[in-house]
Amino acid sequence: MFRQTKSWLGLTPFTLFVAIFLLWPTLSVFRSALQPVEGSSKPAMLEAISGQYLSAILYSVRLSAITAGLGAVIGTLVAISAVSLNQFKGLRNALVGYSAVAANLGGIPLAFAFVASLGMQGLYTKLLSVIGINLTDLGFKISDFSGIVIVYLYFQIPLMTLVMLPAVDGLKATLKEAAASVGATPRQYWRSIGVPLLSPSLLGGFLLLFANAFSAYATAFALSAGSSKLVSVQIRFYLQGNTITGKSNLGYALAAWMIVVMVLAMSGYLGLRRRSERWRR
Amino acid sequence: MIRRNLWSKLVLIVVAAFYVLPMIAMARFSFQRVPVIKLGWSTLGKNWTIESLVNAVISDRFRQAAWLSVRLALLSVVLGLLILIPTTVYVHVMKRGARSYVEFLSMLPYVVPPIALVVGISGAMKVVGTWFLASPFSLVPFYVVISLPFTFRSLDVSLGAIDLKTLVEASRSLGASWSRTIRSVILPNMKVGIINASFLCFATVLGEFTIASLLLKFTLPAYLAESQGNNPQGTFSVGLLLLVVSSLIFGLMNRLSKRKGQAFSGLTL
Repeated sequence: MFRQTKSWLGLTPFTLFVAIFLLWPTLSVFRSALQPVEGSSKPAMLEAISGQYLSAILYSVRLSAITAGLGAVIGTLVAISAVSLNQFKGLRNALVGYSAVAANLGGIPLAFAFVASLGMQGLYTKLLSVIGINLTDLGFKISDFSGIVIVYLYFQIPLMTLVMLPAVDGLKATLKEAAASVGATPRQYWRSIGVPLLSPSLLGGFLLLFANAFSAYATAFALSAGSSKLVSVQIRFYLQGNTITGKSNLGYALAAWMIVVMVLAMSGYLGLRRRSERWRR
Repeated sequence: MIRRNLWSKLVLIVVAAFYVLPMIAMARFSFQRVPVIKLGWSTLGKNWTIESLVNAVISDRFRQAAWLSVRLALLSVVLGLLILIPTTVYVHVMKRGARSYVEFLSMLPYVVPPIALVVGISGAMKVVGTWFLASPFSLVPFYVVISLPFTFRSLDVSLGAIDLKTLVEASRSLGASWSRTIRSVILPNMKVGIINASFLCFATVLGEFTIASLLLKFTLPAYLAESQGNNPQGTFSVGLLLLVVSSLIFGLMNRLSKRKGQAFSGLTL
């Protein structure tokens, strides 16, 4: 018993560090989130899921779900294409290598790249207008919903490619040959074997991408000059306006809901990843 | 089969274009002094210059921000390694059963988005007093926290490949002291993991905007946000430089670690 407790002692510095700089701030988010906003008896967390505050959360959820859905589909197509072009090793390596890079790009510089491309004075805005497509007339703005979706896809697609590559690699050629030898058409093969085998990774990847988009802040902030409707950008507003509005607890409440959503998405992802890894052994 | 290859090639070409085109537009904007409206065949080759980048880089504001970012990044690397190397070694040599505990704690930053973390920081640190957050170096422990998931993973993977416990027992039974064992057995085996962890942490700190911005610290990304309005060309060129630097770091890491499909997004969070 004594040995047991003693051997945990070596983990004290790490545990203390995480407790002070991660767990304590997280708890303090929830503590303030459970207190009422000025002039109300409801906890701020309940206040935050009513009316205009709820719309910020829903806006973020919708945007994250759409970028995750598009990113998941396109990223999977890229992974399948890369595997089916296996004879071009160099191409595949370049693609995987760049995916590992692009999945980690983001923040302000990425926002700049897309402003230079599809902003009002963007290079491709101009090129498209030459061939008769006027983005501004179509109502497209890089800082709006559809604009943010396109920018986020820049890191969502490669992230999904990285998630799916091992799974697609795991679809062994022997499976396809076996299916073909019993007379299955390619369509039947995908419907009865390919998709069911890939689906845990697909769904897991979707959740990972959702979490990735949901927690992002810098890119959207830079695209919209701080005026985005995304919940992450809204939090800044409540936090800095706290002395005037007396509503800083709402900022904590929105942050608390973000953590709740992240916990749900990430635990779903980790659970599904465990399942898809079991398949590959 | 040929038809399918055609589709595959098409997918890859379209996606590759999506990856490359924004960078080209950003580079053109940064290095060509021709407004988009006047761009045409006749002006395509005109006025290319790196003057905007040079001017931005020698400006006081940039140097101030870059110097702070580099110091923050180096300090975060050092503090992170100081905490994680002993912990990881301890887990692998003394207490395998605690590995999932450490792994769990090191994954937690994934579920606390930086924006939520910084909200909690300002709430929690009110108790301590404002002196702690007054210094820009108060960011260091939080940067160690947000890079925990991949720094721990790098070190853990480098030790997972070998039976460290047996190696350490062998070294000790041959009469080597603990410090000798650490120097000659443990650290050389962790070399790749330490390099990986350091670069990943460094790149994360260089790109981190959320926490620094809300705590009003003037780091490189904060510089980008600030000077975007009054000097777009210079700022975009610095942004491009930052993209190139982090691309090089992540590309290098991908080469080094060779563990395909294991990359976990960091900077974007």
